[in-house]
Amino acid sequence: MTMHDEALELATGSPEEMFDLFERRGWGDGLPLVPPTKDRVDAMLGGNESTVAHPDDEVIATLPPRNGEVTRRALAVNAVLAGCRPGVLPVLVTAVRAMADPDFNLRGINATTHPCAPLVIVHGDATKSLAFNSGLGTFGPGTRANATLGRAVRLVLIHIAGARPGDGDASTQGQPAKYGYCIAENEAESPWQSYPRSLGMRAASSVTVTCGENPHNFHDMESDEPAPILDKAASVMATLGSNNAPVSSAEFFVILGPEHAATIAQAGWTRRDVQSYLYETARLPVGLVRDAFNVVQFRPWIKALHDDDLMPITDHPDNIRVLVAGGAGKHSCVIPSWGMTRSITREIES
Amino acid sequence: MQIESPEGRLGQPMTRLSPSPNALAGMRLLALDNGKPGADFLLRRAGERLAERTGAVFVGLHRKKTAATPCEEELLDQIIQDADIVLTGTAD
Repeated sequence: MTMHDEALELATGSPEEMFDLFERRGWGDGLPLVPPTKDRVDAMLGGNESTVAHPDDEVIATLPPRNGEVTRRALAVNAVLAGCRPGVLPVLVTAVRAMADPDFNLRGINATTHPCAPLVIVHGDATKSLAFNSGLGTFGPGTRANATLGRAVRLVLIHIAGARPGDGDASTQGQPAKYGYCIAENEAESPWQSYPRSLGMRAASSVTVTCGENPHNFHDMESDEPAPILDKAASVMATLGSNNAPVSSAEFFVILGPEHAATIAQAGWTRRDVQSYLYETARLPVGLVRDAFNVVQFRPWIKALHDDDLMPITDHPDNIRVLVAGGAGKHSCVIPSWGMTRSITREIES
Repeated sequence: MQIESPEGRLGQPMTRLSPSPNALAGMRLLALDNGKPGADFLLRRAGERLAERTGAVFVGLHRKKTAATPCEEELLDQIIQDADIVLTGTAD
């Protein structure tokens, strides 16, 4: 009998008994879990119709460092544990497929001492149909879809990938986003085309995964033009404290609140203008960065700069990923990257 | 109540370290720098000291591209040619 097929017997089926069992086995995220009974897992898989199109036991990815095989059934077990509604499984499948992309570098992400976590961003029709919150408090608690999908991704990493703290996950301090990190793009209040559309995708629904730090807030309640707002974003980006400083190819995600985005767009600025402005303004003296790090991974043209030159904190405007999420208020955020990883956007499978 | 395991099947088993040799005398010892700050200094000195104590021959230090990715295949091939034992470390 493989681990995958292992049926675990609970004498009483009480929440406490399952909680204890998971704790003894080093499973779970430390919070109570929903028992993954066969009926619940089958319901998560969507019944026979879904099974015919996508076999439950088809291996769709292998996740390091444990080299655990991902099947829809294994994902469904973790989705049940996390409290997901059944319809959300295709989002989880897509997110995990994206995390298995070699450019995402999940092996490094799980093994690093850095406090990074995969952020899942849901785009398109799935946001409404599955009740993800793209508005007020999108990063925060209170919406089942965001909370449980983010949690399911973490449980998959713990159980299937083997990213257990101290074992497969070497993060020095960890971070709260490792419990769950899922938002949705607020396309209804975005002045620009959706983020996937800006990448040339035309899917009805899609998912982006990126591995970064927690969100770093910036607020601007004073400005009625773009530059002062974005100067604050640039100030957050141009720090020695993130991996973006020594790794010039690393991305940023700049998540603009709708009010900031509206102010910027009303002045006629496009998404590309935002990227270009931040590329030009988020800079540090080259010598300062050289002095701060023994090891840097710079593009050759940045290596050639003089110590008193200003270097862009990332080596191309395309590395600054801009989208709108959140609700009323004058807050936005920057998510610095882990560094040696690229974000992946994929169409949600039907 | 029966519940299902959340772990999934194991795929290809992880590569294990080769068994340690009984004696290092005469063996070619190489240090692999993982790219972290200070790793080159630490591993070189550790390699030199180990060679002095055991009679191994310290043949130098190779460096992989970055700590964030596995060692490059070409470098692994080179290491296999250059050394009998490799001294390395992970993380910081």
